[in-house]
Amino acid sequence: MYAVKSVFGALGLGLIGFYLGLGIVAILRWLFGYPDAWGGEINIIGGWVLGVFMWLMGIGMWGQWGREWFGLKTYNRQPPGWQRYFTFNTDHKVIGIQYLVTFMVVFFLAGALAMLMRLELAQSGNQFISNGQYNGAMGLHGILMVAVAVAAVIGGIGNYAVPLMIGAQDMAFPRLNAMTFWLVPPVAVGLLATPFLGGIEHGWTAYPPLAIRANSAQILFDLSIITFGLTSILGALNFIITIIYMRAPGLSWGRLPIFVWAMFATSWIALLYTQGFAAALLLVLLDRLGFSFFDVAGGGDPLLYQHVFWFYSHPAVYIMILPGFGLALELIAHFSRKPLFAYRYAVAAFLGILGLSGVVWAHHMFTSGMPNYLHGPFLVATELISIPTGLIFLSALGTIWLGRLWLKPPMLFALAVIFNFACGGVTGIFLADVPTDIHLQDTYFVVAHFHYTIVGGEIFALFAAIYYYFPKMTGRMYNERLAKLHFWWMFIGFNATFFLMHLPGIKGMNRRIADFPSELDPVNMAISLAGFFLGASFLVFIWNMVYSWVRGPVAEANPWQARTLEWQTSSPPPLENFPVPPVVSGGPYDYGVPGSKHATFPAAPSAGFAGAPAGGGGQ
Amino acid sequence: MHGKHLISVALLWAGLTAIGELLVFADLFPAVGSHEAEDFDSIFRFLLILGIPVFTFVIAVVAYAALTWRIRGERPAEDGPPIRGSGWVPRIWLAVTGALAVFVMIHPGLTGLAKLQSSYTAYGWGKEEADLEINATAFMWQWTFDYPDGTQVSITKGKEVVIPVNKHVRFNVNSIDVVHSLWIPAFRMKIDAIPGRTTYMTVFPTELGAYDEDQSYRVQCAELCGLDHSKMWLPIRVVSESEFEAWLASLKSEGK
Repeated sequence: MYAVKSVFGALGLGLIGFYLGLGIVAILRWLFGYPDAWGGEINIIGGWVLGVFMWLMGIGMWGQWGREWFGLKTYNRQPPGWQRYFTFNTDHKVIGIQYLVTFMVVFFLAGALAMLMRLELAQSGNQFISNGQYNGAMGLHGILMVAVAVAAVIGGIGNYAVPLMIGAQDMAFPRLNAMTFWLVPPVAVGLLATPFLGGIEHGWTAYPPLAIRANSAQILFDLSIITFGLTSILGALNFIITIIYMRAPGLSWGRLPIFVWAMFATSWIALLYTQGFAAALLLVLLDRLGFSFFDVAGGGDPLLYQHVFWFYSHPAVYIMILPGFGLALELIAHFSRKPLFAYRYAVAAFLGILGLSGVVWAHHMFTSGMPNYLHGPFLVATELISIPTGLIFLSALGTIWLGRLWLKPPMLFALAVIFNFACGGVTGIFLADVPTDIHLQDTYFVVAHFHYTIVGGEIFALFAAIYYYFPKMTGRMYNERLAKLHFWWMFIGFNATFFLMHLPGIKGMNRRIADFPSELDPVNMAISLAGFFLGASFLVFIWNMVYSWVRGPVAEANPWQARTLEWQTSSPPPLENFPVPPVVSGGPYDYGVPGSKHATFPAAPSAGFAGAPAGGGGQ
Repeated sequence: MHGKHLISVALLWAGLTAIGELLVFADLFPAVGSHEAEDFDSIFRFLLILGIPVFTFVIAVVAYAALTWRIRGERPAEDGPPIRGSGWVPRIWLAVTGALAVFVMIHPGLTGLAKLQSSYTAYGWGKEEADLEINATAFMWQWTFDYPDGTQVSITKGKEVVIPVNKHVRFNVNSIDVVHSLWIPAFRMKIDAIPGRTTYMTVFPTELGAYDEDQSYRVQCAELCGLDHSKMWLPIRVVSESEFEAWLASLKSEGK
C-alpha cells in the first residue's frame, strides 16, 4: 500500500534524523569538552531540526522538490483515491482536506481534555486528577485549540475554497503549500508528546520565568510552536500572492467574494505578527540554555516577554476570527438570496481590523504592573476595534433584512456566529475597560469571553463551512436532519456552558485552577453538566460526516444555488478546478438583479490562463 | 415596505431588552468590601445597562428575520430585493456605533482609569503615601506579608492577613521566583507580582469581613504559577482599628 509505505517511511526517516541530530550536537559538545554532553536540552533542538527536515524529505519533498536543488529530475508518484491524502500532494483541494481532517482530529482530542477538566471542576477539591495533571491537561487543551483556531479555517477552508473562488487552478506556490501541511504532523507529535515529559506546566502563554523553570516538556512546546509559526507564515505568504496574482480575468478587487477579502486581511496579520510568538518562544528557549533575556538576576525582564508574546498573540485572535467573519458574511449573502449589504464597508472593516490589530496588545497586561501611562492608549485603541467590528454586524444584519432566508445547516451556523459574537463582543468591552478588567483579568469571565468569540465566532463558522463545502469536497450529501440536530444541540450546549461561565468569574473564580472556593460549587456543577451536553453534540457530527462521506447520496454541482465560482464546477472539482477557465463579468452576490452573471465560461480557454495577469485584465 | 418590519423589530428589541436588563438586578457580585469594589460594581452595572441593548438588537434582528423571511420550500423560488446598502444606512450606523464606542471609551473607561490612578489609590507603578503599607512577597506557592512593625504573616505564622477598616492600605508586591498576581475578590483589585520590580495596589476597605463569612475575602494568586497555583491563597480579615492593634500585639506576644 503506497500511502502506508509513504507515511511510515517518512516516520522512520524522521526518527533517524532526530537521533542523528541529537547525536551530532552531543558529539560536538563532547569534542569541545562541555559538561554533560549526552544530556541537556540543546541536543533535542538538533534532533528536532534534523528530524523535521528528514520527515519532510521522506514524505515526498525530496522527490518533488529536493532533487531539483541538485539538478536531478523531479518525480511525482500520485496514488489514486484516498491514498493521495497521505502523500506530498500539491493539489490545494487535497491539502485543504488534509488540514481540515487533521485539525478536526486535534479538535476532538483537545475537546476530550476539556471534558476531563470539567469533570475535575464539577466540584471543589481534587477528585479525579492532581494539580499537575490538571495543569498539563489545561495547557495542552489551550495550545491544541489555539492551533485548531489558527489553522483549521485558514489551512482547511482557505486552502480548499480560495483558489476555487478566485477561479485559479491552484495556489501560487503548490509545493510550498504541501510543505506547510506536512510540517503540521511533527507539531502535533511534539505537542502530544508533552505529557510524557511531565506535561505543559505554563499554559499556552508560557510566561517566563515559569516557562524557564518548567520541565523539559517546555522545549518540545517551544520547538513545536516555532515550527507551527513557520507554517502559518509560509501559508500566509502563499495566500497573499495567490489572491493578488491568480484571480481570474475580470475578478477585480471590488468583485472579490468577501471570504477572500477576509483571508487577504488575515494573511497579512499572520505574515506580519507571527514572528512575535516565534521570537518570544525562541528567547525562552535560549534562556533555558543559559541566556537571560527574562531572568532578573542576569539583567533580564519578565515583562519583556509579555510584550513580545502579546504583540503576536493579540493579532492572533483576529487571525482566528476574521476568516470566521468572512465565512459568516459569505454564507449569509448566499442563503439570504440577496447582495451582501454594504460590501465596501465590510471590506473596510476587515482592513481596519488589520490596521488596528497591531496596536492593542497591552490590554492583556493591564494588571501586569506595566507603566501607568500605557493603560489609557491601549484602552482607547482596543475600544476603537468595536467600530470596524460593528460594520461586520451591519453587513450581516442588513443582508438578512428582507431576504429570502434559506435555513439550511450552513446558514444556521452562520447566523449563530452573529448571535454568539454579539455576546462575546459586548463582554469584550468589560475587559477593554481598565477599571473592570482589574477585577476580571485572569478569571472565568475571560474564559467565557474568549470562548464566546473564538468558539462561538470562529468554530461555529468552521462548522458552517464544513456543512457548506461537504458536498463540494466529497461529492456526497450529508443527512440534513442530523446536521440540524447537531446545530441545535451544539448551539444550546455552547450557550449554556459559556454563558454560565461568566458568573463564577465575576464572583471570584480565577482561571487555570484545579480547585476553587466551595461556595461556587453549584454553578460549576451546572457548567460541567452543560459542558458534557455540548461535548456529546459532536458525536452526531462525527457520525453524520463519516457515514455520509462513504454512503451519502451523490451531491449536485451546486446544491445551494450559489453564484460564486466554486459552485460552477463539478462536485468534487476536477484536478485543474475548471474544465474551461472562467471569465468574471459581475459581482458575486448580485441576487435579484435580472440578467446579472458572476462569470462565464468561454468555450475556448484563453491562451495564457495559468499565468494570466490578475484581476483587472478583463475589465 | 420597511415600516411594518421596523416597528415589529423595535417592539421585539424593546421586549428583549426589558428582559435582559433584569440581569442588572441579579446577584452577580461578591461581597462589597471596599471603595474600589463599589466603583467596580457601579461601572460593571453601567456597562451592562449599555451592553444589553446592543446584544438584544442583534438577537432581535436575527430572530425576526429567521422567523419572518424564512423559505419553507425545498428550493428558493425567488431572490430577495437587491439592496446594496450604500446610502445613508451605513453612515448612520457608523456614526451611532462610533459615538457609542467613543462614549464608552471616555466614560466609564478613561474617567474610571483616572480615578484608579489618582493619588490615593496609586495603582500599578504609582507610589503615594498610605495609612498602612504591607510588603507582600509571592513565592511558589504562597505569600508572606510584612507589616511596618516587623510582624510577618504567612501560611505558618498567623495564617491570615488582617487589615484595618477605613484606612488606605497599600500592598507593595514582589515575587522571588515567577510571575504571580495578588487578587482580593472582595476588593475587586488585582496586581501582578513580577520578579525584579515592585508593583503597588492600594485599597480602602469600608466593611468588616472575613473569609469564614465570605470566601471572596481571600488573597488569591491569579496568575498561573505552576503546580499548586490553585492552592496559593490566604484568608484576609478586615477589622476595626482597635482590633487591628490588638491583633498586632497578640502576634508580637506570641513571639512571632
